Amino acid sequence: MNRNNPDVLELLAAEFVLGTLAGAARRRFERWRGSDPFVERRVRAWEERLAGLAFRLKPVTPSPATWTTIERRIGPAPRSRWHAFAAAVVAVAVLGLGWFLWPQLQVAPPAAQAIFASKAGEVLWRVELAADGEYVEVSAIGTVSYPDQRSLELWALPSDASPVSLGLMPASGRLRLALDERQRAALGLAANVAVSEEPLGGSPTGAPTGPVLYVAAIARS
Amino acid sequence: MAHSAGLDSEPEAARLLAACARQDRQAFQRLYELTSPRLLACLIRLLRNRALAEDALQDVFIQVWSRAAQFQRDRGSSWAWLIAIARYRAIDLQRRERRLVPGGPEDFEAVAADEEPHDSLMALGHRAAAALDNCLDALQERQRHCILLSYQDGMTHAEVADRIGEPLGSVKSWIRRGLTALRRCLES
Repeated sequence: MNRNNPDVLELLAAEFVLGTLAGAARRRFERWRGSDPFVERRVRAWEERLAGLAFRLKPVTPSPATWTTIERRIGPAPRSRWHAFAAAVVAVAVLGLGWFLWPQLQVAPPAAQAIFASKAGEVLWRVELAADGEYVEVSAIGTVSYPDQRSLELWALPSDASPVSLGLMPASGRLRLALDERQRAALGLAANVAVSEEPLGGSPTGAPTGPVLYVAAIARS
Repeated sequence: MAHSAGLDSEPEAARLLAACARQDRQAFQRLYELTSPRLLACLIRLLRNRALAEDALQDVFIQVWSRAAQFQRDRGSSWAWLIAIARYRAIDLQRRERRLVPGGPEDFEAVAADEEPHDSLMALGHRAAAALDNCLDALQERQRHCILLSYQDGMTHAEVADRIGEPLGSVKSWIRRGLTALRRCLES
């Protein structure tokens, strides 16, 4: 497909957004769009132009069960602000006591960490296990190419046991994944963590179903 | 009765989406409450089945949650971004399972045309709403009809031709000319 012919590109983008670009041509255009920001901008402009057509339909309230399922699919909520506040108060108290009793005490470093890198060696995510073992914190560092309509899922790989899901990887920014007993135990027995490609929302079976994209060794402090 | 996204909801939707990028769950729930009735209407219309549409709505919001940080406001409105995610999801599903089970007649009635399209279009901003209205009106009737059948019902060229009983070649060229005219009109 030729980017140098603006009229053709404009029509392809329009028919992609409209939906009349179908089959192999649609898939080809989708790949082109993902790899060329110029094409992506044409698509976004058409999405914007035509969005008003969706507003010509009368809204329909979803059933309450739909939201409940969405909440479940995005995983357990991090602790509430109140909990965070209480934890901070306790931390301050403990630190104060520590300061008094044990002058060497510093802010706790992570108990373990793992770095995911691309084949080219670019660092993509840093995963840190909190000192108290309550959560892992995943920081997206490099440019992560998040597959369209898919999720990337983080797994602990305990030796001699099945992988245990720790949650979904962020495309950017930092994300805390709270750990339950089972996840903590699996991480304790694991030498490696891995990222697999899964259907949206994560593996439906509780075990990795898609290709394993990255594996990283766990370095314990 | 569905609460429709009110007038000028774009700034709020954009603010909520930015909060979702910071993993703010309350904002995510609020964004869902604000935008899901409109998105569900699109999905039902495209998938012709209420249950499938509700499943697709889940996928859409999972995607919104995991990709909120990728939304760039300078490239367009949050409403357009959300609607695009919903429509692509439905088009994918629709074409993957060609033989969709149509729901009952109530599924169709549920997504009748909004009797106050102009008011709801205001959610996108006054100028954009008025411009789209005017430019659609300026199209030839058959161009407008073909574009709406593709956009709202997810029909391919062949399905549109079949529905309106016109040759495939004519439908293709009406859609192309209509889109080109629409762009020129909106940019003028």
